[in-house]
Amino acid sequence: MREQPQGHALLACARQVLRDEILPALPAERKHALLMVMNAMSIAERQLRNGDAPEAQERVRLRGLVDSGDAGLAEGNRMLARQLRNGAADPGAPRREALLAHLRATTRQRLAESNPKALPKAPDARAPV
Amino acid sequence: MDDISRAAIERFVAAAAGADAVRIRSAGKLSGGAVQENWFADLDIDGGAHAGRLGCVLRCDSPTAGVAISHGRAQEFALLKTVFAAGVTVPEPLWLCEDPAVIGRPFFLMRRIAGTAAGHVLVKDRTRGGDRVQLAERLGRELARIHSVRPPQPALDFLPAVEGSPARHRIAQHRGFLDAHHTPYPVLEWGLRWLERHAPERGLVTLCHGDYRTGNYMVDESGLTGILDWEFAGWSDPLEDIGWFCAKCWRFGNVAEEAGGIGKREDFYRGYEAESGRRIDREAIHYWEVMAHMNWAVIAIQQAERHVSGEESSLLLALTGHIVPELEWEILNMTEND
Repeated sequence: MREQPQGHALLACARQVLRDEILPALPAERKHALLMVMNAMSIAERQLRNGDAPEAQERVRLRGLVDSGDAGLAEGNRMLARQLRNGAADPGAPRREALLAHLRATTRQRLAESNPKALPKAPDARAPV
Repeated sequence: MDDISRAAIERFVAAAAGADAVRIRSAGKLSGGAVQENWFADLDIDGGAHAGRLGCVLRCDSPTAGVAISHGRAQEFALLKTVFAAGVTVPEPLWLCEDPAVIGRPFFLMRRIAGTAAGHVLVKDRTRGGDRVQLAERLGRELARIHSVRPPQPALDFLPAVEGSPARHRIAQHRGFLDAHHTPYPVLEWGLRWLERHAPERGLVTLCHGDYRTGNYMVDESGLTGILDWEFAGWSDPLEDIGWFCAKCWRFGNVAEEAGGIGKREDFYRGYEAESGRRIDREAIHYWEVMAHMNWAVIAIQQAERHVSGEESSLLLALTGHIVPELEWEILNMTEND
């Protein structure tokens, strides 16, 4: 068992100190660097909280779409990329909807870690601003 | 700038400007990069066409940049000369010195311009850049002047020729990169396939800035003072620059202002159309905005790779990689219906 609090909670706590105590004390021209640091900590925090779950889900979905067998995620995605390049998801292709749904789901997961602010509020609120 | 370089630059400028004497009143290093150095230099010139006080910027390769890019400054100077002559608002290129004996590396001097370029400041602080209708129109006019430069241009013969459709050329470039990269990007493949299926044939091919966007021009409180950052200039479809300028990913969060986050798309278009005499096909721009997201995604992966590979440890480069999912999300939004 790891010691509590674990990595993601430590990062959250440390980030709060930076935001509340350090950021206000910095001169304007140094704030940007600290905001970058806090952004990096947020991404790491979200990845730690999710653990391996997003990549495990991606692998399961991928196996249903391409014949990737025991291949790793990179190799499976390489196969998927080749199929997309060859037109497997063109309009009218039988697997278009399934492939698009997978791309949406995977991108949503990566966005949720890298920049959740860019995610639409509700799953279907994708209308242009 | 040591005393030897100072004296050498003074002698060089005196000869180049046909002056009796030149003194550097003050000089200092501006923003530096790994590849280039920028120095400000205030000159007192006696005699010749530039007699009087002259505020300049001196650009040279950094001492550690190596030999491979030593032609860079001469090419940049040729580009500035060409677009300055075409009426584009750029820092006026003054004198190029290719003789490494003078300060040890090639350099050129250009007239110094004032203002701010930071994109995130411009989209928030509306006191900068003057009236925003005029600024958007002006940026349209400036771009049309860049696009008035057509091949062939002997002074720009270092720019690679583009055969066939510029759109297909770009798609082939990106696929080549993705094939050689260690990590596959299925959403980018989806996007490239869409770009391939909708690719326009070769039409007008002009000089393109290649990175014409908010953040790469300078303004003061009354308006535009100069177009900057010419290192991606090349021959392409002029609509590529228009799509890059208007793409959502270059509005710095101010997405309602569709012209670079600083103005209305129609104001920008009006300036471009008035200057060029060509109507912008509104429908055709969508394609190039998808391409803009694709180009930026590939560049972001390449920038992140400089950090990931260990070549250059940088938090900014590292975070740039995390922009990619947002660009992919936008590509899906823009391409899922056809």
